[in-house]
Amino acid sequence: MEAKEFKVRWVMAIDIDKCTGCGACMVACQAENNLAPVEDASFKLRVMNWLVVYELSNKQPFPDHDIAYLPRPCMQCGNPPCVSVCPVIATDKNEEGGIVSQVTPRCIGCRYCMAACPYHARYFNWFDPSWPEGMEKVLTPDVSVRPRGVVEKCTFCHHRFMQAKDKAIVEGRDPEALNDGDYVTSCAEACPNGAIVFGDVNNPDHAVYELARSQYACRLLERLHADPQVYYISRREWVRRQLDNYLENEQVKG
Amino acid sequence: MAVDRRGFLKFVTGVSAGIMVTPVPWVLLDDLSIWTQNWPWIPSNVDGPNTFVSTVSKLCPSCVGMKVRLVGDRPVRILPDDNHPLSKGGISALAVAEAQMLHSPARVRRPLKRSGDGAYVAISWEEADALLAEKLGSAKGSLACVSGDETGTINEVLSAFTARAGSQNFYLMPSEIQPAAKALAAMGGEGQFGYDIENSDYVLAIGANILESWGTAIRNRAAFKDAHPHGQEPTVPYVYVGAVQGNTAAGADKWIAIKPGTEGAFALGLAHLLIKSGASSYASDFSAFASLAAGYTPEKVAELTGASADGIKALAAELQKARRPLVITGSEFGQGTPVGTVAAGMAVNLLLGGLNRPGGVKLLPVAAPVVDSALSRAQMMEKDFVAYLSRINAGKEKAPEAMLFYEANPAYGLPQADKMAEVLAQVPFKATFTTFLDETAMLCDLVLPVPMGLERLDDVATPYGSGSALYCLARPVAPMPANVRPAADYILGLAGKLGYSLGFGKWEDVLKAKAQAMGANWKSLMAGDVFVSTETVGASLSFGADLIAKSLTAKTAEGDFALAPVHKLNMGTAKTAIPPYNNKTIRRWELQGSEIYVAMNGATARKLNVSKHDKVVVSNKSGSIVARVNVFEGIMSDTVAVLMGLGHTAFDQFSKGKGENVMQLLTVGFEPGSGQSVWAMAGVNISKA
Amino acid sequence: MADRHLHSANGNSAPSQFGGAAPFFVGLVVALILGWWAFPQVLFSKKHQPVHFSHKVHMEDAGMECSSCHYLREDGTFAGLPTTESCADCHSAPLGDHPEEIRFIEEYVNTGKQVEWLVYQKQPDNVFFSHAAHSMESCNTCHDFTETELCSSCHPNVAEMDEAPVYYENKLTKYSKQTMKMWACERCHAHPDHYGNTRSSNACFVCHK
Repeated sequence: MEAKEFKVRWVMAIDIDKCTGCGACMVACQAENNLAPVEDASFKLRVMNWLVVYELSNKQPFPDHDIAYLPRPCMQCGNPPCVSVCPVIATDKNEEGGIVSQVTPRCIGCRYCMAACPYHARYFNWFDPSWPEGMEKVLTPDVSVRPRGVVEKCTFCHHRFMQAKDKAIVEGRDPEALNDGDYVTSCAEACPNGAIVFGDVNNPDHAVYELARSQYACRLLERLHADPQVYYISRREWVRRQLDNYLENEQVKG
Repeated sequence: MAVDRRGFLKFVTGVSAGIMVTPVPWVLLDDLSIWTQNWPWIPSNVDGPNTFVSTVSKLCPSCVGMKVRLVGDRPVRILPDDNHPLSKGGISALAVAEAQMLHSPARVRRPLKRSGDGAYVAISWEEADALLAEKLGSAKGSLACVSGDETGTINEVLSAFTARAGSQNFYLMPSEIQPAAKALAAMGGEGQFGYDIENSDYVLAIGANILESWGTAIRNRAAFKDAHPHGQEPTVPYVYVGAVQGNTAAGADKWIAIKPGTEGAFALGLAHLLIKSGASSYASDFSAFASLAAGYTPEKVAELTGASADGIKALAAELQKARRPLVITGSEFGQGTPVGTVAAGMAVNLLLGGLNRPGGVKLLPVAAPVVDSALSRAQMMEKDFVAYLSRINAGKEKAPEAMLFYEANPAYGLPQADKMAEVLAQVPFKATFTTFLDETAMLCDLVLPVPMGLERLDDVATPYGSGSALYCLARPVAPMPANVRPAADYILGLAGKLGYSLGFGKWEDVLKAKAQAMGANWKSLMAGDVFVSTETVGASLSFGADLIAKSLTAKTAEGDFALAPVHKLNMGTAKTAIPPYNNKTIRRWELQGSEIYVAMNGATARKLNVSKHDKVVVSNKSGSIVARVNVFEGIMSDTVAVLMGLGHTAFDQFSKGKGENVMQLLTVGFEPGSGQSVWAMAGVNISKA
Repeated sequence: MADRHLHSANGNSAPSQFGGAAPFFVGLVVALILGWWAFPQVLFSKKHQPVHFSHKVHMEDAGMECSSCHYLREDGTFAGLPTTESCADCHSAPLGDHPEEIRFIEEYVNTGKQVEWLVYQKQPDNVFFSHAAHSMESCNTCHDFTETELCSSCHPNVAEMDEAPVYYENKLTKYSKQTMKMWACERCHAHPDHYGNTRSSNACFVCHK
């Protein structure tokens, strides 16, 4: 199956060597996208996170040990494995920009997409979201709150894309040719290390154009041919080796 | 007309057929499906116009600048502020959750008084006023006051109030700034150390967790960001020397593991190599320092710190090659640092010609206090709260009649926290000005709710670690809850009632005077601008050789294993606890349910004959905690890393009863020479539970 | 059995067969009346705006334009309804002697309370509607709409009304009777003539959030 072609392709280029795992992106994501806090977040299978920062280890004993952190949003795959399995077309990849949509009121909660996603980027609402009294006042008006029983995922802060387009229209600019920085996700914006760069990979004026073509850039499980729209950059060979399944003596990309 | 059965069935058939050509079934089906999409208990979106207000965080110890997004009059998001010198387009995991914390279940919303049976009852402000005035009036001459705000001018108000009450017992909660100030004083300097990290071409952090919790962490990260162009070789190498491969080490280009508490010895090892290859200084005590450093050969330092001699030599060579190197020393967890450690790091900077040069250490001017009889910043830094409590505990000093806390949580945040709480219990009357119902509030007779930084007018003056003197205001962006009162105005009013003259009646006037003293323009500050001064204080520092020598004679800690507390901002601070949204950032093998995991490397685990998930008891004479083991290879051998910020016994469901408080295991010692209370070097015993 | 046999044998079989179909038609008519007339009466409750507002007075007498209150903000979002503060720009004190104006000032302006206007086209939370994108420029590349025509293709045209229309609230869904459903959006969004000529597409995320 060929990936759909889009004029604009929103892409994240995450420099793993710059991420220190502080968690600011995860908190910013929850606040931006109206996720609910939980009392006990240690049972990770039941905890909703659109963005998770995983810890990577080179598995060497002290003192040769090295550590890296890998922020994992939805990969917005070019060939999304989740889309083809959805029985109700609650998720689709059909909008200019290539963001995989998820319309939660349409979702019937069958969770086929979760089984299909190779990146564990999809989350099921096991419980109704609840906020301590008064904290619901801090919800943003940009993202609808999802009830229990539906699947949700990172949307690259799609509402910010819509807002950026509207702003461009009002200012008389072309909403289909946004400037670099007009539209950035909440995690990219929050990161104090600048580890996440966001933009249109098809537009040479955007920083991600070069970054995605960097010799150190590769994608998660690239050989599944899901064609993700998230690029990871690391100058460390051991990190890149862990991003895909390599044979023991196989040459790592980059 | 009689209806027979057949007729009735025909009628029903007619109704059924007819209903199918009406909207009833189709509209009902549609509407029912819509009905299921809007459960009343699921909050709905509330729209409004967006506005953005620039301010500064009073909760995050990095004093990060932030832009608050309001929808209508509701703050909904904390965003980074590109124009703020302490944000530079980044935000901390703590500050980004601040809007949500406005509605934290742990917030105190009305004055509380502890009744006879120990329960807290809500009282009116009038009752609180009367009680406080009576108790403080009778405690005249025997009052102590503790502030947990390191950068605010409120400390002048509090210290002046304490002085007018006839006492010199005003203290700040311990942090990195006191040892740094004492080191500067011992080296014969004035002002405050400033670190010009942006202009440095080689950044070496010894102990100091510069990318997570040390100093102006978010500004440090902005410098790190610029020094590490995306996907390319770094333009400025960052090297981290410390016991744990934590967040700073993860970002640094090189990590050198040393035993916790040996930062000073490591710095002297570098000094030795620099002097050996020709570095010199005109400082009066250079020869004394040189002969002290001569004892710290790479081999000796390797033995003391656990780093390799070759690694130390390579590092010294790189420092020498750099044109604008910067060395930053501190404690991995932001407190308990010996003065000698800071001085030893500064000594390396002096040898590298780093004083008052771009990319080095600057001496920043500190404005004189504006409130009558307030302590100067230098005087505040002299005060050692932990030493004070220790003196009371040892019976060398009488417990005060009354103690006031301002946004401070010593009952959780001090070393040997339980012991400190016991000492605090000897104080007959305690009152706290606090936003959250913290562990200290649970010890107090009177709990007075104050607004959060987002709800009040407050200020930040040159936080420790900043590269230049600066001043900015926290402006109220959210409406203040009905029954909370800003502490500064309240204390100015209280002072009036008690007949203490502080020279000001209104907090805003204090801030205006402060702005003037800093040389800043009030109007522009109120517009959200930050005043930044390029001034430095000229000085020729000595090495403080005597102080360093004495400091390094400190005996090694008890126990077979070293303790390395790990401080991460996403866990909050002693005064915020874990913000509700930050629970999810706690890693899987840091906390499971209510059980804390402690980390050690494989060699240490084998030595202890434990494996991952085994239960162990980590203990010393100060206390003990039960924990499970996580095997993590990024830790010095014979060292156990414990995450800070857990084990709260107060606050809300997001913090309370999760894990253990590592502060229980930190034993206070006193640094030879400076007399400063230190706890960066704790030893523990570990046994299988 | 005997009864029925007797009954059918009395020679009146034709009218009885006709009478046999009558209940069916009675049922049909009852159902149609219930379904088309009574059901909407039961399903919707009538509501009135909390404050009497005359668009006519504001347009004709005060000479205001639609965009005086309903305008696009600089950031591209749409200020749908004015706030009490913006009404108070003129109505800080009564301009006339209409009792509703006086009540509005007493209840809202003086207290700072916002009016809970009933919005005829209020969309669910999961819908993102961009007023900026549905502009005259965009639609009139092919059409020849006046502003009134364009706006009133979704909204009731209230410009010349002295009294706001009755608001019918669906008791089940709590939405207004006039709230657009997805098919109404798709009349344009799924129309093949729009592709290539406008930026409209029928992708899910063009309208959903």
